[in-house]
Amino acid sequence: MRSRYLVTRILQAVLVVAITYLLTYWVLFALPGDPVANRLDNPQNPVPPGQAKAILEYYNLDQPALLQFLITVGRLLQGDLGYSLGTGRAVSDMLLQGLGSTLLLALAALVVAAVIATGVGLLAVFAPWGPVRSLARLVPTLSLATPSFLIGLLLLQIFSYQLGWVSSLDTESLTSLLLPALTLGIAASPSITQVLIQGLTEANGRPFVRVLRSRGLSHRAIAARHVVRNGSIPALTLLALTIADLLAGSVIVESVFHRAGLGYVTEQAVRSQDGPIVLAVVLLVSSLYSLVNLATDLLYPVIDPRISITESRLGAGAPASRSAQPALTEGA
Amino acid sequence: MTSILSPATPASRRTPPRAPRGLASHGSASLGIVDIAAMLLLALLVIAVLAPALLAPGDPLGTATAQALEGPSLTHWLGTDYLGRDVYTRIVHGARTSLSASAVAVAVGLAGGLALGIVSGYLGGWVDAVVSRLIDVLLSVPGLLLSMVIIVALGFGAINAAIAVGISSIASFARVTRAEVLTVRTSSYVEAAQHQGSSRPRTLIHHILPNAVGPVASLIPLQFGGSIVWISSLSFLGFGAVPPHPEWGLLVAEGRQYLLSAPWLLLAPGAVIVITVLAASHLQGVLGRLRRTTA
Repeated sequence: MRSRYLVTRILQAVLVVAITYLLTYWVLFALPGDPVANRLDNPQNPVPPGQAKAILEYYNLDQPALLQFLITVGRLLQGDLGYSLGTGRAVSDMLLQGLGSTLLLALAALVVAAVIATGVGLLAVFAPWGPVRSLARLVPTLSLATPSFLIGLLLLQIFSYQLGWVSSLDTESLTSLLLPALTLGIAASPSITQVLIQGLTEANGRPFVRVLRSRGLSHRAIAARHVVRNGSIPALTLLALTIADLLAGSVIVESVFHRAGLGYVTEQAVRSQDGPIVLAVVLLVSSLYSLVNLATDLLYPVIDPRISITESRLGAGAPASRSAQPALTEGA
Repeated sequence: MTSILSPATPASRRTPPRAPRGLASHGSASLGIVDIAAMLLLALLVIAVLAPALLAPGDPLGTATAQALEGPSLTHWLGTDYLGRDVYTRIVHGARTSLSASAVAVAVGLAGGLALGIVSGYLGGWVDAVVSRLIDVLLSVPGLLLSMVIIVALGFGAINAAIAVGISSIASFARVTRAEVLTVRTSSYVEAAQHQGSSRPRTLIHHILPNAVGPVASLIPLQFGGSIVWISSLSFLGFGAVPPHPEWGLLVAEGRQYLLSAPWLLLAPGAVIVITVLAASHLQGVLGRLRRTTA
């Protein structure tokens, strides 16, 4: 039963990535408006005829769409992601070049998001003073309403220009990671915070809390030892799934802070309608998301033994998975 | 993953309902001052979309280089930009692009999500399996990235950005719709209707849809707010509205070079975005309260 579930889940994850790849390919290449042809016909940025011929031959544009797709998949399976239409460089090289800096940024942002969510979440549920709790509940609403480019520009204005704490030009050193990570972390935090608040509130209202209280445990001990452990699992899942969002969000943050990472490569690719790069980025991010999703699903029974695997036959309506709209309302 | 909350749900039902905390605690259905302020603001925005000249009679594109980069004053409430254009006028006129693009996005997301959710929830079986995988696929690509993929295919522009954001938000509408349809479909009144010989389409249109549509509709203000942020982000990157036409994200992008010398260029449109989204999300809360008290 267990191994069967495992195999089903892995197949499902692979299927989702495969369909994502297929659909993205279809949207990018098969729809009317061929990016390769567009790129070659672009009068503003001409491609030398020899190079154009090589590109046309490489993408087999004289072949039917299905055959083109099969050839692309065949190359993908051999580790060939194709060549950029804009620069002619190998897509894998361009991605690898930016990936390191962006992964570092994403991990730092993940820490920021976790710290914010934990701090605000604990305040919102356990703060002894009512107004503090209400105020903490407003934080995710406010940060959800603020576009990340605005957060980034404001941080840049305050810490770089007004206070002069961090240079706005330096993009190499570790301190230069601070503001971008803060921006990305703040932007990613609201949904995690909300799910954590929800989880903690729910756990706090469960009967075991009253039982423990009646046995003489302090509120603090109950909160630290029992409520947090019971109420934070959905938020942890969401935190893990956020990593894919962070990679996508790096497009904006790297644009604001002029960092040359994966986000910058993606932004340039979209700007120059560079299909192969966009396709590879989607493949990367969607694989990462599905992998993390799979890992969290399989780890559930380990973290929380109450959840049996047979129970977690998931439909699409999983509550903890990422969605664009966490409850924005203050009370929720 | 569904199971993660399931052990908790019965337990939370057993606990007696507690008084809501915080801002939501004032009167169950009566409107507070924040509610009224939010609605007033949204009403102003509706006017800005339908008849911007009523609020800002000036020309949003009219340049006056002699008055470039002036700070906020009585003649120019929110200052002027690098071409001497009045920032207030541009924000008011920008509302039309920003908000109608968001409306288009919500309409696309709602239509797609309702269709997918109803089909999958009502028909079930393999259709449900296929649609659920499709929703998984849509969710496995972050919204911003997905909308950029669609923009690469469709080309730049405010409408294309709106459609892209709309398609990216189909998954969330579809999930809620599917869950609602699944609940309503098994309710006793639907069963009763079926026993009385109500045909499938009739059951769907007369019994399931009206009862399932409420929670889906209550997503609208929230999605609308989210779309404003999203579309302004795309415009900020230069994939959405085309200058010189004012659009909120574009206004912020134009202002970023003057962050130091003329911060109002960035702060004014930025604040308008934030306040609008807050108002929309507040409306969501008000609607939710009304629904709870009337239900």
